[in-house]
Amino acid sequence: MNISVRPPEGRVWPADADAAVPYWVYTDPETYAEELRKIWYGPHWLYVGLECELPNVGDWKTTTLGEKPVVMVRSAEGEISVVENRCAHKGVKFCQARFGHSQELICPYHQWSYALNGDLQGVPFRRGVKRQGGMPADFDLSQNGLNRLRVEEVNGVVWATFSDETPAFREYLGEKFWKHYTRVYDGRKLEVLGYNRQHIPANWKQMQENIKDPYHAGLLHVFFATFGLFRADQKSAVDIDDEGRHGILISRKGEQEKTEAMADIRNFQGDLVLEDPRVMDVVQEFPGEETVGMITIFPSVILQQQVNSLTTRQIVPKGVGGFDFHWTHWCYADDTPEMRLRRTRQANLFGPAGFVSADDGEVLEMTQQGACGSPDEHFILQMGGREIAPTDHQVTETAVRGMYRYWRKVMGL
Amino acid sequence: MSAETLTRPAAITRDAIRDLFDDYYATLDDVRLHDWPDFFTEDCLYRVIPRENYEAGYTLCTMQAESRGMLKDRVTGLTRTQMYAPRYYRRFPTAPRIVAEGEGPDAKPYVQVRHNLLLVQTLIDKTSDIVLSAVCHDKVVVDEGRLRFVERIVVFDSEMIPNSLVYPA
Repeated sequence: MNISVRPPEGRVWPADADAAVPYWVYTDPETYAEELRKIWYGPHWLYVGLECELPNVGDWKTTTLGEKPVVMVRSAEGEISVVENRCAHKGVKFCQARFGHSQELICPYHQWSYALNGDLQGVPFRRGVKRQGGMPADFDLSQNGLNRLRVEEVNGVVWATFSDETPAFREYLGEKFWKHYTRVYDGRKLEVLGYNRQHIPANWKQMQENIKDPYHAGLLHVFFATFGLFRADQKSAVDIDDEGRHGILISRKGEQEKTEAMADIRNFQGDLVLEDPRVMDVVQEFPGEETVGMITIFPSVILQQQVNSLTTRQIVPKGVGGFDFHWTHWCYADDTPEMRLRRTRQANLFGPAGFVSADDGEVLEMTQQGACGSPDEHFILQMGGREIAPTDHQVTETAVRGMYRYWRKVMGL
Repeated sequence: MSAETLTRPAAITRDAIRDLFDDYYATLDDVRLHDWPDFFTEDCLYRVIPRENYEAGYTLCTMQAESRGMLKDRVTGLTRTQMYAPRYYRRFPTAPRIVAEGEGPDAKPYVQVRHNLLLVQTLIDKTSDIVLSAVCHDKVVVDEGRLRFVERIVVFDSEMIPNSLVYPA
């Protein structure tokens, strides 16, 4: 964890409130602790996993929401529960594997046993041994189950929230983002293609910002720009929800050609040719002309549709200066073998060794390094002006401004 | 490639396999990336895959190439399009163990080899980190008068890659 060398006294915000952000948002441990309380454990839906990861009753998957370990479990036919992975007795994180299957959840320490939905079923020696010891007579099993989260399964994705105040998921997304969400998560059955996991030594918000920032995509990602997968002169758009918390970058595939707009890209590789271009074998599969829809659902996940690569990228904060990044690549259950292969090939563009996204991890680490020493300075957020509104181009940081306006509101700053 | 390896008659002996790995890892440790694809046959399969995917039968790889051409594209991507902080990679393989011999679909004899691999990374101002702790499943054939990998599957235990996997394993 990075400790800021100059703690932000009074946490001053720059006067140019919407268009500048102080670096202490990446480095201040107190701010981070407040984020966990107000954002991660507050009125927000958090990504837990895909419904298809748990085909049978008794299947479970462990993950982490904020910093709290949880178990997502198929607790009955047609029902998924999310419970905290913390025994009610001594707080043991009782499920240690990533995936498992069992009829009940049992803590290995004192063998307290829970039903799949988190109800406490059994406490060994509850009545004592030979009339000695045991739990007090007023100990009530029904009052000592696992902490259960509110859950919604929405078109194959499982969401959970710690707060009773979180509105229903569709309302949380808003109608505009419901439309963006259901473009890809349209109710068809999903299937996992595999996982990638990396730890990025940068504040968790930086990952959200990165996907809300189309300005960098055509510049940092030379591979994208070169092959026209995401470039500044394509018809594109940025949409944000009314609260400013969710965003989407919409783009369409172009061609490998040098245009006036590419003159600003110093390292554009106009002569680059692939020996085996199968990684670029892209087919149009969603309605409309758009080939890219990168959705940021605040605060926990990025829903990626980059040509035929479909991925959820879960953010798990690990202290103020780092986060784990869990990629779940998926396909539709009724995909042809050719389509599965195509999606698997395109995975070379993404993940910790991706031609495109390895750049992101690297540059976020560098951003954190730059921010650490100067928490009382601020960064510039003026690309595209000071407005916070949807745009029909990529040369903007509007969605990042939206996120920080919402963040300040929730944080009371 | 050392001169000695080039003059040795091509047969898949234990010594020849050992030389192949010595050359392979020296090439990568020295970051002679453009020489790397030549260690593979034209129609090779190269995978760096998380153990959880491998064991679940998932095909998704952290790095994959289905031909020597794709390996060359990986080098091109790395040297001409990707941005990453400067670093050293050093690979610590255990001795290769021959686990099977057989004939491929084209009646070409192959030898299947297994060994462990540690891939250690050193960044500026940082202590050295293990990027991958892995077991490598390799199939070696004689191709154009020398030994080459027709298949190399690097299955890594590492649950969390420290940021990026930049160079190949």
